[in-house]
Amino acid sequence: MAGTVARPHYAETTRRAVASSIGRTVAYVMLIVLAVAVIYPLVWMFLNGFKSNAELFGDPWGLPTTWRWGNFVKAWDLGVVRYLMNSVIVTGASVVTTVLVSALAAYALTRHRIPFAGAITVLLLGGMMLAPTVALIPLFRLLRAIGIFDTYLALIVLYTAFRVSFTVFLIRAYMITLSREMEDAAIVDGANRWQIFWLVIMPLSRPIIVSAALLQALFAWNEFVFALVFINSGDLKTLPVGLLAMQGRVLSDWPVLFAALTIASIPMILLFLAGQRQFIRGLSEGFGK
Amino acid sequence: MASRLGRWPMLLWVAPAVLLLVVFVYYPVVENLRLSLFRWNAFSPVDVWVGLDNYSALTADPVFWSSLFNNIAYAVVSVIFQVGGGLVLAAVLEELVRGRLKGFFRTVYFVPAVLSLTITGLLFQFMYNPQIGLVNGFLDAVGLGAFKHSWLGESATAIWAIIAMSQWQSVGYVMVLFIVAMQRIPRELYEAAYIDGATRRQAFFRITVPLVREMTLLAMIITISGAFLVMNEVWVMTAGGPANSSHTLGTWLYKSAFFNDQMGYAAAIAVVIFVITLAASIVQLVINRGKTVQY
Amino acid sequence: MRINYRARASFPLLALTVVASLAVAACGGGASPTPAASGGTGGALEGKITFLHKYSDPRYAPYFEQVVAAYKAANPKVQIEIQAYGDQDVKDKLRVLAASKTLPDVYFSWAGDFTKKFVRGGLAKDLTADVTGAWKDSFTPAALEAYTYGGKLYGVPITLDAKYMVYNKKLFADNGVTVPTTLEELLAACDTFKAKGFEYPVTFGNQYGWPAIHFLTQLNPYYVPAATMQKDYDPLSGEFTDPGYQKALEAFMDINSHCLTQGANGISHEAAQAQFLASKSPMHLIEAVEFFALTEKGGAPADLAANWDFFKLPPPASPAGDTGYLEGAPDGFLVNPDSQHLDIAIDFLKYLTSLDNAKKLVADLGWLSPVQGSATADNTFPQNVTVIEDIAKAKGMAIWLDTVTHMYVANAYLNGAQAMLDGTKTPAQVMDDIRAAAAQAKAEEAASPVPTQ
Repeated sequence: MAGTVARPHYAETTRRAVASSIGRTVAYVMLIVLAVAVIYPLVWMFLNGFKSNAELFGDPWGLPTTWRWGNFVKAWDLGVVRYLMNSVIVTGASVVTTVLVSALAAYALTRHRIPFAGAITVLLLGGMMLAPTVALIPLFRLLRAIGIFDTYLALIVLYTAFRVSFTVFLIRAYMITLSREMEDAAIVDGANRWQIFWLVIMPLSRPIIVSAALLQALFAWNEFVFALVFINSGDLKTLPVGLLAMQGRVLSDWPVLFAALTIASIPMILLFLAGQRQFIRGLSEGFGK
Repeated sequence: MASRLGRWPMLLWVAPAVLLLVVFVYYPVVENLRLSLFRWNAFSPVDVWVGLDNYSALTADPVFWSSLFNNIAYAVVSVIFQVGGGLVLAAVLEELVRGRLKGFFRTVYFVPAVLSLTITGLLFQFMYNPQIGLVNGFLDAVGLGAFKHSWLGESATAIWAIIAMSQWQSVGYVMVLFIVAMQRIPRELYEAAYIDGATRRQAFFRITVPLVREMTLLAMIITISGAFLVMNEVWVMTAGGPANSSHTLGTWLYKSAFFNDQMGYAAAIAVVIFVITLAASIVQLVINRGKTVQY
Repeated sequence: MRINYRARASFPLLALTVVASLAVAACGGGASPTPAASGGTGGALEGKITFLHKYSDPRYAPYFEQVVAAYKAANPKVQIEIQAYGDQDVKDKLRVLAASKTLPDVYFSWAGDFTKKFVRGGLAKDLTADVTGAWKDSFTPAALEAYTYGGKLYGVPITLDAKYMVYNKKLFADNGVTVPTTLEELLAACDTFKAKGFEYPVTFGNQYGWPAIHFLTQLNPYYVPAATMQKDYDPLSGEFTDPGYQKALEAFMDINSHCLTQGANGISHEAAQAQFLASKSPMHLIEAVEFFALTEKGGAPADLAANWDFFKLPPPASPAGDTGYLEGAPDGFLVNPDSQHLDIAIDFLKYLTSLDNAKKLVADLGWLSPVQGSATADNTFPQNVTVIEDIAKAKGMAIWLDTVTHMYVANAYLNGAQAMLDGTKTPAQVMDDIRAAAAQAKAEEAASPVPTQ
């Protein structure tokens, strides 16, 4: 930037420099203290998985005397992995269905003039305001009537239905900003709607699709009430519910529970560490528009 | 363009979304309203009509009001720590920390957010244990032993302990959202301000805060609506106890339906939650109208 | 950028196939019970039943898995799906299943009004005609009585349980404390222990509220005449106006201030037990089914395993009620009247409560069985044998207060006890809540139609 600016007085510059480096040090100290406060509970959780029950009660702060991998084996046997797999299946499937259904609807709403567009938009808007808890009790009888009670499908369908509104609006906000040039070129080339959608619009919308998928994954992974109520079979329990059930089972062998918590945490932490760059970029590009 | 490709067939494209919404979202909400006018439970063979009795019971129920209060407390604290704290943290990280260290801190603060709420709920149940938990142990270690409590076992502290856990988990998430928003702010604005003699604090309040307004709004919506729907962590840590002191609307609904055998009453609570979240959404829409950020 | 659209037309199809296959996988993952054809005539049983129990604890679950496996081996055409839950989550799970009309064929239920709820809702089969002859005679009569309502039997008991105060004999001897025979002596013993440096003479964890209720379950019969108590526990006639109820609450609070772990609302029962196992607390109020954890085979430290005994929670010096009541109840299973395979369900229950399996239960789990002759000095530890004699001597069983009464009254007690421990309510206030709950329960029960089976 051009233009001359009067240089501040020398003393003032020093004072400001000193103040700024004190401030900087203070800030760093606080950041480090905060980081310790954030991470230490997780470290504690990890270490406790190796202790014996007596050690846990006798010396909660200390390191385990021997590294009891047996606790982890027990936790594994109790079914942590099955809960993880169930969560992966339900989350993965619901991400695919939600993004698909929402993208289709967003495309139709933004690129075409469909009849009842206004009413449909209001319907979708309203859907964003309705929370899952409110539908819990009537959904009993409904799921039972449809016959999908206690199945993966029940959760996948519900997770999709309750997030489709938000996702449609998310994708729509992005699609509206896409220029029509490529679409027009495709039409000239003789493409039909399907092809335009899959080969032009979707690739162009990748950032928001990624963001939508990530947000949906976060929701589905953590969803609790529906998973608690609508899944009864031990084989189908998702992670949040399965871990809670495990707590009720190992009432007296706490290190095993800690081991289970650690096993359940590791995949997500690893996944995040590996993919955080993409995650941030996805959020950034998606929200940036 | 549209007319060349036809109009009605496009309805098929929105059909799945609309169908899902109508069947699984709208219908249950309306049905829930109807069910709240009856008295029934898991064991009753018939629903007994009671009109608005469930609602008058609601207004007279001290647990309903304490649950509502807990939700409001949740919302207020979350806005302060998650939105406010997240904003400040993001600003500090963006401004004061360079390169790899920035990525390191960002990762560390964000890790709790990727953990399932049940994991963190169970972990903190142990952390708050009066005999072996870290919290009391830490207080002892720094000489503040007088402040030890049975955090989840006393009516006065239970819900606050849970709210504190929520902040631990979610501040990092909101911080990342703000970092994303802040990265879009052109550096030149800051440089110009510093050359003009602004302090960092002034730059924060005069540049950063206004320019992340949209994200602030989004973060507030997320935390406030989340605060009224909270159920998982409370259920895992205290199941609403002791003596129903730490219930939120969500857990009280669940308990009424599946422990207290009062499903009609639970439906009435659901209607209240519906009204609150509806109001919050409408407010969000109104505020959001036509407000975009210009750099 | 020129894209060859015709060649790429298959992409959407590919995506749809992926989604479709996911859907198929999802459907396949469901576990809905298949309605099979009815069993054969007189010959081998055929079909599938679901069996729900609350013993998912890894110490207990294997027993049930083994019994089910043995039954399936004897009846190859029968399938039994086990649904195992924990003590706390079985409570809401049963309601979820009942409300969605997917109750298993055989399912667990506590005795008292808890079972009566299922009976009132037409969800429990009348087993009077099924449990007859030698099978019926094999049970301790008191156990069957707990599951009998209006003269009809609705449940099959599989364990017998009683509540006792276990104590560390060595700590008692070392500190000059004798086994208390009255409540006042118990309080004095606690004071002695406190003076000798024991922070909490009776270790106590009340996280889910029922441990406090178990104190009250034994105290109520001591302060309230038996007939009044039976009347009040029945939802249709409950009033709770006898002053003895409040005295029982006050007695509990006395025990709390002299003896119990403070801050107990935040500590689980099992965590409190760890203090007893480590010989840090000399006493703990537990159920006989938990005695196994105090033996060496059950994992207790050797010095404790050789040094413990039990006594019943003692009555006050001048009780207004009956001291002959012992707190305890059987645990048992109900049968879903809509089951497609009632024959298998009942046959399985008969197998589960056969003398051999009852003996296995006693030997493997250290529990007591209501099947007579199942526990002898050979297959169980000495304290268990004493318990059986003690139960036989009791005038009657006082069933757990949170399952014997209507849910509203149970909740008033559960929350009231927690509030008293927390200091937020007085015994008088809790009694007000209990009376209000009883009135509400009475009004609703009177107004509800009762189904006939």
